[in-house]
Amino acid sequence: MNKKAVILGVIIVAIVAGIAASVSSSSSETVNLDMGRTHGTISTVMGSAILGDPSAPITIVEFGDYQCHQCYNWFHNTKPAITRDYIETGKANLVFVDLAFLGNDSPKAAQASYCAEDQGMYWDYHDLLYNSQEPKIDGGWANSERLKAFAFSLDLDMELFESCLDSGKYSKRVQYNIQQARDNGVRGTPGFFIVGPDGQQQISGAQPFSVFKQILDPMI
Amino acid sequence: MMQPIKLVFLNFNYVLLSTVIFISMMTGLLILSEYIFLDPYVVSHLPSGTELGFVLILTLSSLSALVIPMNIFRISILKSSKQKMGGGVVGSIVGAAAGACSCGPVGFAVISTFGSVGATATAFLTNYEIPIRIIAIAILVVTYFTTIKSLKVECDIRSRS
Repeated sequence: MNKKAVILGVIIVAIVAGIAASVSSSSSETVNLDMGRTHGTISTVMGSAILGDPSAPITIVEFGDYQCHQCYNWFHNTKPAITRDYIETGKANLVFVDLAFLGNDSPKAAQASYCAEDQGMYWDYHDLLYNSQEPKIDGGWANSERLKAFAFSLDLDMELFESCLDSGKYSKRVQYNIQQARDNGVRGTPGFFIVGPDGQQQISGAQPFSVFKQILDPMI
Repeated sequence: MMQPIKLVFLNFNYVLLSTVIFISMMTGLLILSEYIFLDPYVVSHLPSGTELGFVLILTLSSLSALVIPMNIFRISILKSSKQKMGGGVVGSIVGAAAGACSCGPVGFAVISTFGSVGATATAFLTNYEIPIRIIAIAILVVTYFTTIKSLKVECDIRSRS
C-alpha cells in the first residue's frame, strides 16, 4: 500500500511539474540552454534564441549591430522574404550574434536585448530596436534611457530589466559574441553564415534575397 | 561655355581618362556603399530608402570625371599652376570618404585599428554621409566653373599672343 502511495505521489509530482513547465514555456521564448551550441565553426552559445524551428536543416547565423544602417536595410528589405519562405516553412532557422562595434551605444543595445530575453521577449525587443533605429550612430536613440523606454513599451517588468541593464549582466556575453565574429573572419555588419548539412557559406553585407535564395535552395 | 570642354575632350586621351575616373570611382563607391556585391555572386541592389545616396554617388563620379581631366589638361598643356587642381581632388576624396566608413569592412578596419578615435571618425562620416557628399559635389561644381573660367582666360591670352 505504501509503495503504491509513493509511486502515485511521484506520478502526481511529475504531472504537476510537467504542467508548470509547459505553462512557463508557453508564455516565453525558448531560451538557449544548450551550453555547447555551435553552428558550423561558430559558437552560438551566447547568441540569441533560435528563431524558427530548431530542427530545421539550415541555420542562418547573422552577425549584426543595432546601430548599423546596413543591418537596418537587411532587416527591412531581405529578412521578411527569408522569414516567409524559409523560417516560417521550417526550412531554416536564424540565430543573431552581436558584432556590436559601431559606437558606445551598440554594446548596451545588445545587452538590453538579452535583458529582454530574460523575460521571454528577445525577438520582440530585437525587432523593436531595428524598427526604431535612427540614422545617427550614438545619436541618443539607443542610449540607456531609450533602451529602457523600449522595454517599457513592450510591457516588460521594468524593475528586472533596469537592474539587468544597469548591472551590465550581459556585458561578457556580448564581448564573447564579438570575439566569435572576429574568430570567424567577419569584417563588418551584417555578416552571415549559412550553415547546412554539408558545410557553411559566408555572405558579407546586406545582400538581396536573390543571393540568399541561390545559396539556401541547393542546401534544402 | 562649351568651348573649353570641347577643347579638352577633343583629345581622346582625356576622354579615356575621364571614362576611367568615372567607372573606377562609381564602381568603387557603389561597392563600398553596398549597392554592388561581388561575392558570392556579382549582384546589384538598390534597397528602398537609399536612392538619394545612389544619385549622389553618380553625381560625384560624373563631376569628378569632368573636373579632374580638365584640370590635368590645364596643368599639362597650358602649364598653369597645380594649386587650382586642389578643388577637384579634394571634392572627390571628401565625397568618397563619406561613404567608405560605415558598417562595412573599411569602417570595421578603421575602428579595429584606431579604437575609439576611429569609432568617432567613422560615426561622424556615417552620420553626415549625405551632407558631406553634397558638400563634395558643391566643391566640384565650384571647381568646374573656376576651371572653365580659367581655361577661357588662359586660352584667350595664348591665342592673342
